[in-house]
Formats: sequence, C-alpha cells, structure tokens
Amino acid sequence: MKLKAQLPLLVAIVALFCLPLLIQNPYYIHLAETILIYTILLFGLDIVVGYVGQVSLGHAGLFGIGSYTAGVLFFHMGWPIWATIPASIVVTAIFGGILALPALKVVGPYLAMVTLAFGTIAQILINEMTWLTEGPLGIKLTRPELMGVPMDKAEYFWLVAGVMILALIAIDRFVKSQMGRAFEALRDSPVACDCMGVSVYRFKVIAFVISAGFAGLAGCLYAYSEQYISPNTYNNELAVLFLLGIIMGGRKSRLGAAIGAAIIVLLPKLLDDINLFRIVASVIAVVVAIGAVMALSKKVTTPRRVAIPLAGVVGLAAFSFWLDNISDWRLSIFGFMILLVVYYLQNGIVGFAKSFYQSIAGKTKTTRGDAVEVADDSVSFISTVANQNTGAELLKVDSVLMQFGGLKALNNVSLSIKRGTIHGLIGPNGSGKSTMMNVLTGIYVPTAGNVLYAGNSVVGKTSSDIALSGIARTFQNVQLFGEMTALQNIMVGLHHTFKSNILDIALHLPRYTKEEQEARARAMALLKFVGLDDLANEEARNLPYGKQRLLEIARALALDPELLLLDEPAAGLTAPDIKELLRIIRKIRDSGITFILIEHHMDVVMSVCDTVSVLDFGQKIAEGKPAEVQADEKVIHAYLGA
Amino acid sequence: MEILAQILSSGIAVGMIYAVIAFGFQLTFATSGTLNFGQGEALMLGALVGLTCVDTLGMNYWLMIPVVCVFGMLQGGLVELIGVRPAIKIKSEFGWIMSTIALGIIFKNVAENIWGRDALPFPSPLSTDPINFLGANIMPMEILVVIGALVMMLLVEFFNRKTIYGKAVVATANDRDAAGLMGINTSLVITFSYALSSLTAAFAGILIAPLTLTGATMGGALGLKAFAVAIIGGLSSGLGIIVGGLILGIVETATGFYISTGYKDVPGLILLLLVLAYKPSGLFGKSAIKKV
Amino acid sequence: MLSIKNLEAGYGKVKVLHGISIDVPKGQVITLIGSNGAGKTTTMRAITGMIKPTAGEVTLAGEKIDGSESHTIARLGLAHSPEGRRVFTTMSVSDNLLLGAFPRFTGSRPKGDIKSDLERALEMFPRLKERRNQLAGTLSGGEQQMLAMARAVMLNPEIILLDEPSMGLAPILVEEVFRIISNLKSQGVTMLLVEQFAAAALNVADYGYVLENGKIATHGPASKLQDDPAVKAAYLGGSGH
Repeated sequence: MKLKAQLPLLVAIVALFCLPLLIQNPYYIHLAETILIYTILLFGLDIVVGYVGQVSLGHAGLFGIGSYTAGVLFFHMGWPIWATIPASIVVTAIFGGILALPALKVVGPYLAMVTLAFGTIAQILINEMTWLTEGPLGIKLTRPELMGVPMDKAEYFWLVAGVMILALIAIDRFVKSQMGRAFEALRDSPVACDCMGVSVYRFKVIAFVISAGFAGLAGCLYAYSEQYISPNTYNNELAVLFLLGIIMGGRKSRLGAAIGAAIIVLLPKLLDDINLFRIVASVIAVVVAIGAVMALSKKVTTPRRVAIPLAGVVGLAAFSFWLDNISDWRLSIFGFMILLVVYYLQNGIVGFAKSFYQSIAGKTKTTRGDAVEVADDSVSFISTVANQNTGAELLKVDSVLMQFGGLKALNNVSLSIKRGTIHGLIGPNGSGKSTMMNVLTGIYVPTAGNVLYAGNSVVGKTSSDIALSGIARTFQNVQLFGEMTALQNIMVGLHHTFKSNILDIALHLPRYTKEEQEARARAMALLKFVGLDDLANEEARNLPYGKQRLLEIARALALDPELLLLDEPAAGLTAPDIKELLRIIRKIRDSGITFILIEHHMDVVMSVCDTVSVLDFGQKIAEGKPAEVQADEKVIHAYLGA
Repeated sequence: MEILAQILSSGIAVGMIYAVIAFGFQLTFATSGTLNFGQGEALMLGALVGLTCVDTLGMNYWLMIPVVCVFGMLQGGLVELIGVRPAIKIKSEFGWIMSTIALGIIFKNVAENIWGRDALPFPSPLSTDPINFLGANIMPMEILVVIGALVMMLLVEFFNRKTIYGKAVVATANDRDAAGLMGINTSLVITFSYALSSLTAAFAGILIAPLTLTGATMGGALGLKAFAVAIIGGLSSGLGIIVGGLILGIVETATGFYISTGYKDVPGLILLLLVLAYKPSGLFGKSAIKKV
Repeated sequence: MLSIKNLEAGYGKVKVLHGISIDVPKGQVITLIGSNGAGKTTTMRAITGMIKPTAGEVTLAGEKIDGSESHTIARLGLAHSPEGRRVFTTMSVSDNLLLGAFPRFTGSRPKGDIKSDLERALEMFPRLKERRNQLAGTLSGGEQQMLAMARAVMLNPEIILLDEPSMGLAPILVEEVFRIISNLKSQGVTMLLVEQFAAAALNVADYGYVLENGKIATHGPASKLQDDPAVKAAYLGGSGH
C-alpha cells in the first residue's frame, strides 16, 4: 500500500491511542474499548458472513466461549492475561472447528440453523455447568497485571487498541491471501471450487476456525474489560446484533466492521436517552431527505425507490416524539434496521457511501484491486507436460454405468483417451455427455464400471483430489467466481502452488510473499494468453459472455493439468470468438495437454478433433475420425430422425 | 413403570406440538424454498392473542380458536409480504433468512410491550384434574393437544389431496414453473402457504398455552426444536414429522427428568446437529442430483 | 391465433433470439425446427412467460401477452407441454390431468364438463388410462410425454405449444407421439410444434420455420421444406455455413 493511502489510517491509529489522554471520563473510554472489542469480533464474523457468504447466528456463543475460557482459567487457576489470551483463541478456535463439522454439507438456512443451535447449546452449557463456570452467578475478573501492578483504565485501553491493530493487520493479510480467495470461491461456486483443487470442506472448517479465533480473542478481552461475565449476555439477541453490525457497517471491509461495532455499541445507549434519540433521528431524517433530493435531481434514482427508506426514517423520527421511553422498543428498532439494511443497504454503509459518492461525482468504477500489472512475456504460462508420449492411453473409461433411480444416464460406456489428442464427445441433448464429464471429475460416483487415469482408478475420489492429480474442466453453464476479478479467478486455479500457511501469511514471511508474487505473474501471463490481460481487475460477472468462457479455460489451465475437459466451449460464441477459441485450443494442445471436448458446433468438432465418440441415450453409438463419424448412418439418424 | 408412562405421556404431548410447528416449516419450504425463522413467534402471538380473547374479551375457548386461526393467517401473509416476497424477487437467500429473523425479533418485542415480560397463565378449557392412566398423570389438555394436532394435520392433508386448490399447492411445491403453465398463480400459492403455516403455528400456540405459561419468550426454543423435527421427519409425509416429534418430545422429557430441566433443550439441538452432519439430504425431499 | 413479431430474448447477458417472427393461424399446425442451441426452447419459454422477452411482441387471439406471467397466459387459453415434460411427479396421472384444467375449475376458462373431458383424454391416451392412479414420477419417458400432452389438452385450449415431444424417446414411442399429434390436428386443434426431428415434424405440419442461431433462416409450407437441402444442412451443420 502506498504511503498516501495509508495516511488516513495512520492518523486514525494515532488518534486512537491519544483517546484516553484526551478524554478523562472512564465511561467513554469503556465505550470506546467495547467498540474496539466488538470490532475484533466482527473481523472474524466477516470471514463467515462477508467472504464465505453465510449467515452465522453462533458467534455470540463463540464470544461467550472466549470470555469463559479466560474467566475459568483466571478463576480456577489464576492464569495471567498473557496466558489466557492465547488460551481463549485456541479453545474458541477448536469450538469453531466443532461447529464447522455439522455445517460441512449444508448451506443457507440449514447452516444458519446449525449455528443457531450451536449458539443456544453454548449458552445452555455455560449456564448449567456451574462446577466450571459458576453458572448464573458469573465470574468476576480483576484487571490484568503489568509487572505486578494492575493496569489502570488507560493502560488496558492501550492493550486492547494494540491487539485490535494486530488483529486488523492479520485479517487484512488473510483475506488478501490465497485463503481469502478460497473463501470467496467457496461462496461463489462450491462446485467450481472443488474442481479447481480447493476443497470446500477443508476451507469451510478453516473459515470457521479462524473466525472463531477472532471471536475468542474478543471474548477474552471483553471479560477483562467488563470485569464480570455471566451467561445471559451471550444470547441469541447478541448474535443477531453482531450480524446487524457487520451487514450494516459493510461486509468485506475492515472499516465496515468498525462502523458496525460502533453502531451496535452506541445504539442501545442512544436509545436509552429519549431526547438524544429524538435529536439524532430527526437529523438522520433530514440528511436522508437532502440526500434523496440530491439523488433525484441528478436522476440517479426514482421517486419510488426513495419513498420507502425516506418514509422509514421520517416515521422513526415521528415515532420517537410520540413515545416517552424508547429503550423498551430497542429490539424492534434493531429488527427494522435489519429489514432496512437487507433491502436498501445491501453493501452496508461503507458500500453505500462508496457508490453514493461515485454516482454524485459521476465516476464509474467497476474494477477492484491493485494496479494492473503488465504480463511478462518471459513467464511461461503453460508448463509443458512432462510425459509427451503421444498416443499412449491417458484415460480409460471402462464400462461405466451411471444410474439415477430408473434412468440410465450412462449405459455401459467405454472410452480410451490417448495422450496429446483432442477427443470429441458429441450427441443429442440428454445423451449423457455432461454426465460423463461429471463422472470423470468426481461430481458423480458411477453406479458401476471404472475410470482409470494414468493407470489409477479415480472412482470415489473427491473432485478436489482429482483436480489436483491433473484433470481440469470448464462447465456448460459458466461457473466462474462471479464477484471476484478475472485475475483472482485464475489465482484460485493457482491455489495448488501455495504451500504457505496461516503464520506465513500473517507475518508476510518470504515464503508467502514469493508465492503470491509468482502466482500473480503467472496469472497475468495466462490472462494475456486468452487475451484478457486488460480486463484483469474486472469482476468476472461483468465480463461479456464470450470472454467469460475464455476465462474459465485460463483458470482450468492454472491447475497445470494433463487432461483438460471442455464442456461446450463454443456455446453462445460468435464466429470470430470461435476462431479465437480454436486458436487457443490448438496452442494448448501443442504443449502436450490432452483434451476431451463436448460440442454441438460440428465445424468446431471437425476442425480440431482427432477422434470423435458419439453418445445417444447414454450409449456410445459411433467412434472414429470426425469425417467418418459425420457420415455414419446411426449418427445422422440420432440427430436428424427417421 | 409409572415414571416411564409419565415420561411417555408428557413427551407425546410435547412432541405433537413440535410436529405441528414443523408441519408449518414444511409447508413454506415445499412451495417456495424458504422458511420462516420467526415461526416460534407466530406460535407465541397466537397464544397471546388467544389469551386476550379469553381473558380480556371473555370469549369462550372454542370460539376463540377460529379467531386466532384468522389472526395467524393474516400474520403469516404479512411475513411473506414484507420479509419473503422481496427477497425471492432479488433471489437473495440471505435476504429472507435475515428478514424473517428480523420480523421474529420485532414481533417478540411488540409482544413484550403489549403483554409485558412476565409469563402469564392461560385458563384451561378442560378440567385441570389429571387422569390416571397406567400410573401416569395425564392432563385432559394434553389429550386435547394430541387430538388437535392430529386433526389439524389431517385437515391439511385432506385439503392437499382432495381439493383442486390443495393440488395446486402440491403442484407448486413439485415444480413451480410447470405449475405456472397450468394457470396457477404461484406467488399467491406462496403467500397462502405462509398464511397456512402461521395458522398452524398459532393453533399450536393455543393448544399448548394452557399446559405451560404464556409469554413473549415462549417461541424461541420451540421454533428451533421444531426445525429439528422438520429435518428429521422429512418432507414427503406428515408421518415422518409425527415420528420425529414424538422421538424428540420423549427424549426431551426424559432428559428433563433424569438429568436436569436446565439441560432439557439440549437433546433436540444435538439431534439437529447430528442429522445435519450425517444426513442433510433425505430431509425436505430426496437428495438433489447436482446439475452442472 | 398466435402472432410473434421481432421477438428478442435471452438469459442474462446471453442473447439467444435476435428478432424472430412467426405466425400461427387458427386450426393449423406450425413447426419450428432447428439444431441444438438454435433457440427453439428459448422461443417457447418467451412465448409462455417462463422468461421475459427483451424486445418484440407476442399476441394471442389479438391480446398482447409478451411480458405477462405464465399463469395469466395459460388462463387465456395457451397450453404448453414443456421441454422435459415437467409432469408433477408426486401426483397421480389423473391429478396431473385435473391440474391441466385448473383455470376451468377457477372460472378463468369456460368450465364445461371436466369429468367427461378427463375420461375422453384417457381414451385418447390408452397407456395413461391403464395407469390413471399411478404416480407420474414412476412413468416411463414416453408415458410422461403422453401425460404432458394430455394435460395440455385438458385445458380445452385455443392453442397447444409442444416443446420437443420426441426428445429422449425410443423410435416406436416417437411414432406414437406423432400419431397423436396427427389425431389432434384432425380435430382442428391449433398447434405450435418445436422439434429436433425435422422429418417427422414436417410430415405432420402445415407450415414450417427453420431457426438458426436465433434467427429464422428460412420458412415455407412444410412439404416444400421437406425437400430443401438447406434444411438438412442446418441440422447436422450447426453454424458457420
């Protein structure tokens, strides 16, 4: 990061540390401390919610586990803070791993329920295991000691602030590393993720473990900050509040986490004071009204779209004048805020501020990420295949049967794919071509038969293992990681080149920085090969369709495969795009990579395939050179009819 | 022996309540692929509205039932309109998960403010003298709970199988696009399924209210455990839910008796986690074949 | 009866139809043929409201239906037997047929005698009659196709759209399907038939349109198209000619 960009951050850090010197009132220092602690937790929650894209209602439970680890170790064993901090992180991280286990196979509402159940169990256990936790009585903690003397308010604040900065650096490094990319890939397309060698199960566990670690750290600091912990703090309402914080502040943003933490700490205080609330609500209503008028005058929105949010904030201000006591309605206000954020502020305050600023200032910025690098032509993007024994058998499909209930999608199909060739697979709709692809890449396990790759059976192996052993693929319906840039998509394909671990990333050790640099260079070279290097920082979902298909091929190449499976690569492409596609396929073949190509475009099949197999109703009906197959009676009948 | 009978009878009553709530989850998930995280609050509101009718308005319990059912339908329709429909439109799963959670919180808070935070007793329409059966003390109300739950589920099954509108609902659950081609207004079907789902929850609320205390907090744990039952039971038949509900009800009652009442909620939650860990498919239908 | 003018449609960023015009006069069987990926099913979906067209006009008996919801279009008398049959697998054959008549139950279409229509439909499709109480999901591919067509007939529609009825069927079943289509034609039912099996489709149709890469490449009376070499080429050729 350049110094200029870092300047506001440095100023903020300095201001943060000056805070206890400028404000003497311990109440405000405590509030700021709580905000910092919640920020650390939200950093962790953001991994699950922002990056992996799931709802977690279990983080209050994890927070509680962190607090109670510290509390129990302090109370029963008298451990100092220097020991309880790492203990809290580790113990909570382990629980995060336990939470991940039932969550492995599920997503969406099921995952949310798993986390809710976990959080509920955690609170019950803390409450009931009185022999360990003192149950509802709670545990009292004293201020941690620094060189034998208990810290005062300011010193503990500095400790918390320091830890928060370290947490900030750590999380920033995690999400920008191959780990962060793996999390986002998990969210955008779990199937493609597995097929690019990034195991969905493994990274889900890692995401929950890291997320829990942060929650545990926050919990520990919270225990010493409050100096008293009891089970009823860590309830489902707190879990929802954390979610509100991260969504409202802004996902995938450190600033968003801080803003969110500030909102959830300050809001209840605000609601306790009805007069202050009335003032704030009125100010917000006025600001939103002005903003709406500005946006309407610049024609960036319609009256209909601003009507509801405007009515909402004005109504809220009016409501506050009608009531005497608003703290009873606290939870309803949170509920309405969630509704507001879910429909109108999907990118949080940070996201909204960014796009608002852009639309007012007239800029359009669809790119993300750092400056574009220029591809270095000397970097070879395709590692030439070691075994160039053209003509030897690379893949053997042996009498595969794939049955779904009563339907035989593949009925006793055998194929022999020779090294260095382009083997076409054609047939009418529903003949079993894509099913074959899915069997070869481990998405389906064949009902019977075997698939031998370089002599070893791949039946029963995970898609991720198969991908790492040298079989890469593209998909009939493009499965790019939509919210990631073109460059990042390729970097996910290069995940297998990274050997560095959490520690390497957190400390930016040379092993990690070198791998990251090399991967970037290689990714740029791959982009240049398919002609997408100038779109490197464009989000994949915004690319034109033809370019998306090329990006998928480039991403598959990043796996250094020996066998490349292309599923209808020419579908939806215009004639010039198809010419470019053929050029790319031939170039790839020249470096020794073998192809299986599913296609409907006969001219593509004719011009580039060495052998063609024809499927119909799940059975192979013809095989041979393209010209032979095209003239085959059975093939004509299958496509054309009697 | 007596203890066993007692555990069984109390467990069956509790289990049937879970089954009825779980039934509501199934309804909306089948037709729209969404579910109401505030389902427990729908039950709570039904119970509290019922209490007001009976206590404040002096209504007869049996007359109050249809009133609460209508209230339930309206509440369900409201949840769908505000929380679910906009999310389906923008195809955001996150959207309806968070909005139904948010609506649940709002309903709970409103209930706290209107009815207060204390748990209130609900007058039982039947005698409170327990009947002694095989050594167990069975409250007449518990029998009513079991009968009421079964009747409710049978009515819905009847509706689904025998009326053309019920068939339209099943068709929407089976294949939404094809149902539209038949001239079925699938958005309306979804709204209706939410209305029906809240109706069953509200009905469950007034069934269980005389047996426990009624209050703003009664919905939370019930909703989560009912979800567990819905998952264990599966979608295809109400029978799976009834079996799941009974298992959970009995295990829970036994836990409360042998270990401690504080731990009562734990078995259901652990069961939920185990099922999701080992067999997440087989719930809400057969395992979906991945189409790539 | 059904008139399509300059229809454009696609999926997200991918535009599949680039302005096609088709006319289906009352009482006739019109067929739309073309190779895989030409856009036939997209055309059907755009007509019946499963996807919204991005441009162009579709009118049914004079009423504009482009942009309308599927259920509204069905209630106006357009029955669709979709690609892949899409029968209601958890319901019985007779329930599936009753649902085909849904708008008649609710009053959106003239009621008539639904019960006797159900019996007549089962007579027309003897295989279904034997299996009237069987779950539709347990039927074979061919039987499901029969069911989808019978279901469409149950609407007493103004027009039936048949999307690839022969797909995935063994030749003997294909023959049966086309026999039924012929039968319906002789009863005066208006139909728009989308097919991969050009030969069979052109045999039964009055008029045909050939779709290539989202555009109408050629059209004419079915008998003329049957002898057209360009039609045969469009089939196994795909693009690039």
